[in-house]
Amino acid sequence: MNNITDSLRMAHPEVILSAVTILLTAIGAFAGRKASLVVSALAVISLIGVAVIAAIGVPVGIAFGGSFISDAAASYAKVGIYLMSAVAVILGYGWLGRLSARQFEYPLLILLAATGMGIMVSAGDLISLYIGIELQSLALYVLAAFRRDDPKASEAGLKYFVLGALSSGLLLYGASLIYGFAGSTHFDVIAAAVKAGTGTGVLFGLVFLICGLAFKVSAAPFHMWTPDVYEGAPTPVVAFFTAAPKLAAMVLILRVLYTGFPDNIEQWRQIILLIAIVSVGVGAFAGLVQSNIKRLLAYSSIANMGYVLIGLSAGNHEGAQAVLIFMSLYMIDATGFFAALTALSRGGKPMETIADMAGLSRTNPAMAITITLLAFSAMGIPPLPGFWGKFYVFKAAIDAGQWPIAVAGLVGSVVAAFYYLRLVKVMWLDDSPGAVDKGPLDARIVAFASALFAFPLVMIGLTWIEHYSGYAADAFGLL
Amino acid sequence: MTAFLLQYLPIVIFLGVAVAIGLVFMVGALVVAPSAPDAEKLSAYECGFPAFEDSRMKFDVRFYLVSILFIIFDLEVAFLFPWAVTLMKMPHGAQIFAFTSMMVFLADLTLGYVYVWKKGALEWE
Amino acid sequence: MTIGLAHYLTVAAILFTIGVFGIFVNRKNIIVILMSIELILLAVNINLVAFSAYLHDITGQIFAMFVLTVAAAEAAVGLAILVTFFRNRGDIEVDDASVMKG
Repeated sequence: MNNITDSLRMAHPEVILSAVTILLTAIGAFAGRKASLVVSALAVISLIGVAVIAAIGVPVGIAFGGSFISDAAASYAKVGIYLMSAVAVILGYGWLGRLSARQFEYPLLILLAATGMGIMVSAGDLISLYIGIELQSLALYVLAAFRRDDPKASEAGLKYFVLGALSSGLLLYGASLIYGFAGSTHFDVIAAAVKAGTGTGVLFGLVFLICGLAFKVSAAPFHMWTPDVYEGAPTPVVAFFTAAPKLAAMVLILRVLYTGFPDNIEQWRQIILLIAIVSVGVGAFAGLVQSNIKRLLAYSSIANMGYVLIGLSAGNHEGAQAVLIFMSLYMIDATGFFAALTALSRGGKPMETIADMAGLSRTNPAMAITITLLAFSAMGIPPLPGFWGKFYVFKAAIDAGQWPIAVAGLVGSVVAAFYYLRLVKVMWLDDSPGAVDKGPLDARIVAFASALFAFPLVMIGLTWIEHYSGYAADAFGLL
Repeated sequence: MTAFLLQYLPIVIFLGVAVAIGLVFMVGALVVAPSAPDAEKLSAYECGFPAFEDSRMKFDVRFYLVSILFIIFDLEVAFLFPWAVTLMKMPHGAQIFAFTSMMVFLADLTLGYVYVWKKGALEWE
Repeated sequence: MTIGLAHYLTVAAILFTIGVFGIFVNRKNIIVILMSIELILLAVNINLVAFSAYLHDITGQIFAMFVLTVAAAEAAVGLAILVTFFRNRGDIEVDDASVMKG
């Protein structure tokens, strides 16, 4: 029985989160809507708690017969995921309060999604990979459609659901082929089988699996859902979508490719590079014609996923570390952007188009400076975080001999800089159509904190992130 | 080829028996049963639909709620079958773990049921 | 003639393709999309169970159990979202699902 006790100890963060979710569901079911504050507060506390546990209190090892891996990479990702989820609960609580539709289900769904993401980054075989992805996705589908009375939100939820379910189907079909031709669902056994030679069946499955995972990180050409979902879903929910789930999915891709298929690197590198270059292109050029900021940020996130995949294609320790650094910095930047959008409204209507932002530097200078900083960071101006993310990613690609692709990525990021510059220009140079509401405190704090991280805290933060992501990348045990 | 087809003989027999029994009951009802139709008797039972109508008509969206709940509770119980079959064949220590896991799972399902009940999803109005 | 692994894989591949086409070609009703998704997942289940029998390995059947139950949860969430969509729109035609463009 020691076996199971040890396993449970390694899975402590997820076990605790599940138990808390069940408990809070019971509280909510009996107390109803008035329990909303208690449920949200407990959710935030437990999310921060499990982030701490994941950081310091989890033994390293393999649990549940190889289905669950507890290592530095998983812990690194879990800290990011759980903290971002806590931010999402806070933003969502304030947002629902302003709608006077305070529902205790919102924090519960975030908790469930966080549990799913925790399982994803710890997945050691195809079954736990699938369970983790589905637990996360099902909660996210519901979150996208959380405003039941809003036609746009329910349409966003529906589109997200249909395309997400399709991607799960592709992923599963790939998983079934890999299982059949490699003879096991465990990544390490698959890697051994591939080394011994398995034929094309496994490769066929791997292609499907990568397609399914690319859907989850919204990399082109599997990005169709992203702009619509970002535009239609509530802004605080999008702030959550753009951060934690993408980190989880990226770590999962690292895990699958680096520990499951290290000997197929020549094959999967081609697929990843293709996806990366298409993502960068689509993200940069389609973003140029957008007038809605949420759609623009959707294309921006597609382009960013392209940069991450360029780093990932390096297939070595440096590549894994670059992916982790980029995702950490990107999460903070993107969350700040959406928090700023949550905070901005004019006459009670959210400001969602670029034209709405006109003259923001005079009506709300603090927010204008925040958005400008975040936009410069996303453009990749040194010494802001976006620059460092791209620096590590392109450096990893060039060191691995992929310099043409790194150049293409740089060109894409120059093109993408135009739409951020347009936003900044509208905010600082155009005339304002009218006064802006004083935004809600929670969203403003998150936005300001993110801008503060962008400059100057990133100088200190980056040394930490580099240090720990180095440990985390060691966990993939590679090449 | 005949040997291959012979494998399916039981299915053919089964189909034949099924058709025969079905016919016996229908014909029997026609011949033996008393028949005194009126409007109430011919209308659909309780919440059912009129039997002969366009199959693509819209119906009340509340039926979906019932079907959603049915799907979940119906299929989650599928975990019970392999569990029930293997539980007694396990070594003792694993047995306790397996038993506890399933009880936790069932408690979860029950909690879901309580939640649905408290939310009023089981009420028609 | 015996039914071998290849036959099961072919059936599964055909069902999978029908499912994927059902999602993209279907222009009428969102319920049909849900059915296509279900078809894809069941094709995967055929694959898993066939491989499981072929490899004499129980993992595939366990995987199939999980796929089955998660598919139920997925269908439930999909139907629930569909109901909210219907309440906002009044119908569920695919062509109407496009307020947002770009």
